[in-house]
Amino acid sequence: MNPLDTLPKNLIAAWQKYGNKKIAMRQKEMGIWRSYTWQDSCQQVRQLSLGLMRLGMGRGDKVCIIGDNDPQYFWAQLAIQSGGGVAVGIFTDSAPQEIQYIVDHSDAAFVFAKDQEQCDKLLEIRAQVPKVKRVIYWDDKGLWNYQEAWLVGFDELRSLGRSLDEEQPHLFEHSVEQGHGDELAIFCYTSGTTGLPKGAMITHRNLLAGCDSAQLADPRLESDEYLSFLPPAWITENVLGLTVHLRVGMVVNFPESPETVQENIRELTPHAMLFSARLWENMMGLVQVKIAETSRVNRLLYKIFMPVGYKVASLRYEQRKAVNPPWRLLYALGDFALFHPLRDKLGLTRVKSAYSSGAALNPDVIRFFRAVGVNIKQLYGSTEAQVHTLHVKDDVRFETVGVPPPGQYVKIAEDSEILVSGGTVFQGYYKNPEATEKALRVDEDGRRWFCTGDAGHLDADGHLIYLDRVKEMITLASGEKYSPQFLEGQLKFSPYIRDVMTVGGKERAYVAALINMDFENVGRWAEKRGVPYTTFVDLSQKPEVYDLIRRDVERVNRALPPAARIRKFVLLHKEFDADEGELTRTRKLRRNLLLERYQDMISAMYGDGDSVNVRAAVKYRDGREGVVETTVRVAAMQTEETGT
Amino acid sequence: MSADNIHLNVEGISLSFGGILALNDISFKAREGQILAIIGPNGAGKTSLLNCLNNFYHAERGKILYNRRDLTKLPPYQIAKLGVARTFQHTALYTGLSTLDNLMAARHIHMRAGLLDSMIYYGRARREDIAHRQVVEEIIDFLEMEHIRKTVVGALPHGLRKRVDLGRALAMEPKLLLLDEPMTGMNLEEKEDMARFILDIHDRRGLTILLIEHDMGLVMDIADRVIVLDFGTKIAEGAPGEIQRNEAVINAYLGKVDA
Repeated sequence: MNPLDTLPKNLIAAWQKYGNKKIAMRQKEMGIWRSYTWQDSCQQVRQLSLGLMRLGMGRGDKVCIIGDNDPQYFWAQLAIQSGGGVAVGIFTDSAPQEIQYIVDHSDAAFVFAKDQEQCDKLLEIRAQVPKVKRVIYWDDKGLWNYQEAWLVGFDELRSLGRSLDEEQPHLFEHSVEQGHGDELAIFCYTSGTTGLPKGAMITHRNLLAGCDSAQLADPRLESDEYLSFLPPAWITENVLGLTVHLRVGMVVNFPESPETVQENIRELTPHAMLFSARLWENMMGLVQVKIAETSRVNRLLYKIFMPVGYKVASLRYEQRKAVNPPWRLLYALGDFALFHPLRDKLGLTRVKSAYSSGAALNPDVIRFFRAVGVNIKQLYGSTEAQVHTLHVKDDVRFETVGVPPPGQYVKIAEDSEILVSGGTVFQGYYKNPEATEKALRVDEDGRRWFCTGDAGHLDADGHLIYLDRVKEMITLASGEKYSPQFLEGQLKFSPYIRDVMTVGGKERAYVAALINMDFENVGRWAEKRGVPYTTFVDLSQKPEVYDLIRRDVERVNRALPPAARIRKFVLLHKEFDADEGELTRTRKLRRNLLLERYQDMISAMYGDGDSVNVRAAVKYRDGREGVVETTVRVAAMQTEETGT
Repeated sequence: MSADNIHLNVEGISLSFGGILALNDISFKAREGQILAIIGPNGAGKTSLLNCLNNFYHAERGKILYNRRDLTKLPPYQIAKLGVARTFQHTALYTGLSTLDNLMAARHIHMRAGLLDSMIYYGRARREDIAHRQVVEEIIDFLEMEHIRKTVVGALPHGLRKRVDLGRALAMEPKLLLLDEPMTGMNLEEKEDMARFILDIHDRRGLTILLIEHDMGLVMDIADRVIVLDFGTKIAEGAPGEIQRNEAVINAYLGKVDA
């Protein structure tokens, strides 16, 4: 059976290699980790697949799966694919109407629905999905008394499969052999913030290409432990979980229930982890809360060794210098007393690859985890083209989302849209040629590019900087574009900056910014350096403070093409205030109001002057109104070094 | 109603506190495998009735026949051994112990190993412990409590404590389950979960369930039969549909129109 161009072929190859000798999957049940060997796994898939065939599944049929991360989910998916079918994952929290849309749109002939909750949803929409022949469940709890021939249990399906196996003993092998890499393997319905979800069609070859290129960038080993907790309907779990499992032989562990993930991570200490930026932030927050509550000794250790961790991490990763022996010794002590126990509590003792995806991760969080010995890397991807870029090895930079893994290509279109090419690029959206045409572009060389709809910029080292969605970009008078969200978001990562509003747009030649310093942090900084100040207004106009902020602006500018950089900024003499209507109560900027209120400063930033006198009406908390008069300086960034 | 599958037969029990008649000549029957709900306004005597059933309170008159055996003469622990378990309106759990330990503690009525065995913890005591843990783990799985298995009960929110309390009652492997307001203080989602668990228990274990509840809506959904108490007197009994139309019940809940 060569080549191994489908997932089921890889399953059979792994079974032949490992048989009963190696554990394939583990799930915690009744408080005990229960393991399945490759033999068990293969047997399940075989019986389920034949069972589906007995019920009438044919090649090319679509089958939906709604369920949590369970071995049964993976088996069901492989069973579908062994019979030449396409697995369509649906998120477990989908409402009946969403399920109805996907089941109907994908023309599914069968649906795997984990349990009573999901079966009930399907029974509710039964009349609207006439194409579905049967619904198969694997957790029978609560379903004992359902008298519905439409619902079939896992065991029943397997016994149907066994009977077909006896009649035609080679049917399964034949069916797997008939498969080829260009057959569709899965549909992933994109959540679609606007309009109806679209079903991205993904072939076996796409999945295997994604797996192989990820393996080249960051190899998993067959001895690695992996905890499957990302939604299995999501492309990431399909590639980095299931496909890597089949291809490399790494052990996939399943949590006892979705609520026990954190606990199970600690028990397993997986080698690879992918969290959303939000989850990493929560994890750091949790540590800080627990430290505040712990014993005095522990708090003391935390106080002593965290600065050591920060110092060494900064030397190692940010300044890229060798760490001298005294610091190394101190860090080793810290590791013994604090960092290792901390990593142990978080289940991070064995982690080799810790990834964050989704929104940009706050550098504070990255610094924190580096200090305790975990270097978090960014990973950027999409359903349609899997992993676009990631940080490889220790080449981690705050502003970027890394480089394309081997075999993947990234380029920036003229309107600064990120285009991705490689073996992972999907085949189009199911029954939606218009959307497909918009998303896929073929160049002169016949190479297929996926248009991400994201705007980005490649820096000199080939690192990709993700800016924003293309439609959120703003055009300057010169026709060049910039991303307010990126500039403001990145600047706000600085501890010295509280709020930023960028100014630009069609009538203006370059980008300027109104910056609110963080009074508390800048104040502390000033005291340490012996910079005297009296009030917020006074501190904000100190040349030293301007220099401090300028360094942050420079850092963010460096990641951007010259046209998109901040050219001038002012440090505001007061904070944006929700009481004055400058911010919403959730601290979002009221841009139009700010543009009007600070128009003097804004026009000064587009003129020649280097300062501006302001008189601002201020509403005090007690309802009185007053006027503040002061001079605000305009800082210009140097432009000569920008070359290109 | 044939005599042999009557699981619980309450015949004319009365109870008074000083001059107040808490229960006045209450009689009803529960058939095996039935979900029987007892409802009524505050102070109707629902909890008093439940307390009489496992002899927390001693009924002054009347008989409580459980499998044709009179419970009024037995102490509560004996009643528990006969297979009558209950949950409490205000959960009665070991707040310093984990969920798992609370459930294991409830297994004590089934434990045979003596002190010495347990100290040596080899052979019988160990086997027994594993068997009990198995039973308890099945309940944890059944009530979806995996994530709080090792959490100290005192740290749990109210809704989950109620669930642990139900688990504790189930761990005794009862044949008759008395539930005292299992859904008080819960939000709608928690109530629905609890209702589902009660129905699942009923389906799977075929228990007779006697349920006291304040929330009419949920009771009507899950009970086979409903008894209504008001000021210690039974004012109605019947299928949920009948009860909802019963005038005496409507008056008891909403107040008399002419009063």
